[in-house]
Amino acid sequence: MQLRNRAAYGFLAPYLLIFAAFWIWPIISSFMMSFQNTRINPWVFSPGANWGRLFTDPAFYNALKNTMIILVIQVPVMITLATVMAVLLNSPLLKARGLFRFAFFAPVVVGEVAYAAVFRLMFNLDFGIINKLLNSVGIASISWFSDASAAMALLIIAVTWRWAGYNTIIILAGLQSIPGDVYEAATLDRVSKLRQFIYITLPLLKPIILFCVVLSIIGSMQLFTEPMLITNRGGPGGGTETLGLFLYRQGFTSLNFGYASAIAYTMAALAILISLLNLWVGRDAK
Amino acid sequence: MAELSLKNVGKRFGSYEIIRNASLEVADGEFVVFVGPSGCGKSTLLRMIAGLEPITDGEISIGDTVVNNVEPADRGIAMVFQSYALYPHMTVEENLAFGLRMTGNPKADTERRVQRVADILQIKELMKRRPKQLSGGQRQRVAIGRAIVREPRVFLFDEPLSNLDAELRVQMRVEISRLHKELGTTMIYVTHDQTEAMTLANKIVVLRSGNIEQIGAPLDLYDNPANQFVAGFVGSPKMNFMSAEIVAADGENVTLTLVNQGNVQLTLPLKNPPPSIGDKVTLGVRPEHFAKAGEGIADLTIKVDVAEHLGNTSYIYANVAGGEQLIIEREESRNENIRDTLTIAIKSSHALLFDSDGNRLR
Repeated sequence: MQLRNRAAYGFLAPYLLIFAAFWIWPIISSFMMSFQNTRINPWVFSPGANWGRLFTDPAFYNALKNTMIILVIQVPVMITLATVMAVLLNSPLLKARGLFRFAFFAPVVVGEVAYAAVFRLMFNLDFGIINKLLNSVGIASISWFSDASAAMALLIIAVTWRWAGYNTIIILAGLQSIPGDVYEAATLDRVSKLRQFIYITLPLLKPIILFCVVLSIIGSMQLFTEPMLITNRGGPGGGTETLGLFLYRQGFTSLNFGYASAIAYTMAALAILISLLNLWVGRDAK
Repeated sequence: MAELSLKNVGKRFGSYEIIRNASLEVADGEFVVFVGPSGCGKSTLLRMIAGLEPITDGEISIGDTVVNNVEPADRGIAMVFQSYALYPHMTVEENLAFGLRMTGNPKADTERRVQRVADILQIKELMKRRPKQLSGGQRQRVAIGRAIVREPRVFLFDEPLSNLDAELRVQMRVEISRLHKELGTTMIYVTHDQTEAMTLANKIVVLRSGNIEQIGAPLDLYDNPANQFVAGFVGSPKMNFMSAEIVAADGENVTLTLVNQGNVQLTLPLKNPPPSIGDKVTLGVRPEHFAKAGEGIADLTIKVDVAEHLGNTSYIYANVAGGEQLIIEREESRNENIRDTLTIAIKSSHALLFDSDGNRLR
């Protein structure tokens, strides 16, 4: 090896060591762990203990079902909302654009615990402002934390509130990269504003929207904070338990690291699979 | 096809005036070129005709209709943009048909019109390609095609050739000219390139800082510029301007001295209004209008700085004194070299005179 290269690797070595110890090794180690029965001491190699259990465990299927419901409802709602907000933010008629842009992005910056606490207060059965508002228009109070469907809706509302602005900013950047004269040409072609949006804006935004969808899918697959903090550890009775929370409980409450590892790998595989499916469906027809 | 008329049209952004009092009549089938330096308002004026910029004063009519408050789509115009503005996600064929499809034009008619355009512009083999798979010239052709397909009453071109290389520009220029002959539609064309203006136009409109300086046929502008700006802008290489001072004026003739050309004196016929003695004026002579020594009203002896021999003609660049460069075109000067001195003459018939504000005196 040349001296130059040796010196370069020398400088890289501290980082590579840390990368190997805290990144590569946990990935390998957890993969091996998923094949071990970690409920007995010492751990023994027993693939069926975790992978076999995974496919028969009703708790896993419950968490998977909850995660999928959130994914299937929340991601499309949020991306649609983000696209609409981005178009509105991009409007030349809008005043104080910078302020709105910041306001929509702000939820991402807010601390998770603080936002969870505020949501718990707002959706409180007896004194939360949401129920008060519902009552004022004649709708009965909803017990957001003890009814499984309501709790699921609450989760979806919370996640959408937190991440819609983030996606809005990404889509807005995409919108601004579409040259204005294309719209002028369409205007002269007698194409209405709505059709310009459908036939020009959306197709040109497709790669950006796909990117946001994939990011959101990965995020939803890992959803943890909201069911942990807002719906009180996946309550009521596991009604909002997600895969992320199920993993946490297996790993850090039951200390069954082998099973938690198997869940983690399943989540990653599912996220990759769904994202690839998405990219395949949204690919450019050649 | 339609005539177009602008009456005292103006455009202001706040207190900033971009177009002032522009009036223009364009006859049916005419090819009009707006020309002027960057920022003179020529593209804005075109966009005002298209309806993409609202006007603040005056009246624009296309055919018999005042279109001030008519939507761009309903003005019967088609525009070719400098950046082509093709729909990047559609094939050439879809680009051409998009507008017609969106307005519910019968499918068979759309297909016929797209085919006709493909024939006219020879882009049949490109129909299935996307814009990013096309060269600049091909994109420009598609952009023109998209305008033709609409069968507009007026075509608007906004510097359509400025993104092309020199050779392609000449080729496309010829093609646009051919297209105009073939279609016979009114065309308005914006450019900063006076050669394009001279070669394409039936009528040139010269703009400067939002004012129309002169309107006329290309050769009229060349032979009879209204002022020093038009004289300098039209023609390549530029007209030579020599600083001068009036030393005598008798109501029939004026005598001036060329202060930066060795105080050579010459007398030109000039009646009304006679400038006063001592007035600063500018003498304008085109590069090809100098005569051989002794054949004009005054001889100038100049030192050759650079000689460009182009084969059919030569350009002599001489910077005699005071930074006042002269360019002389001479067909028979293959042998002139740097540092040679040369005596040329100014002919009365081709000497223009401008006052200190640039207005034409003769």
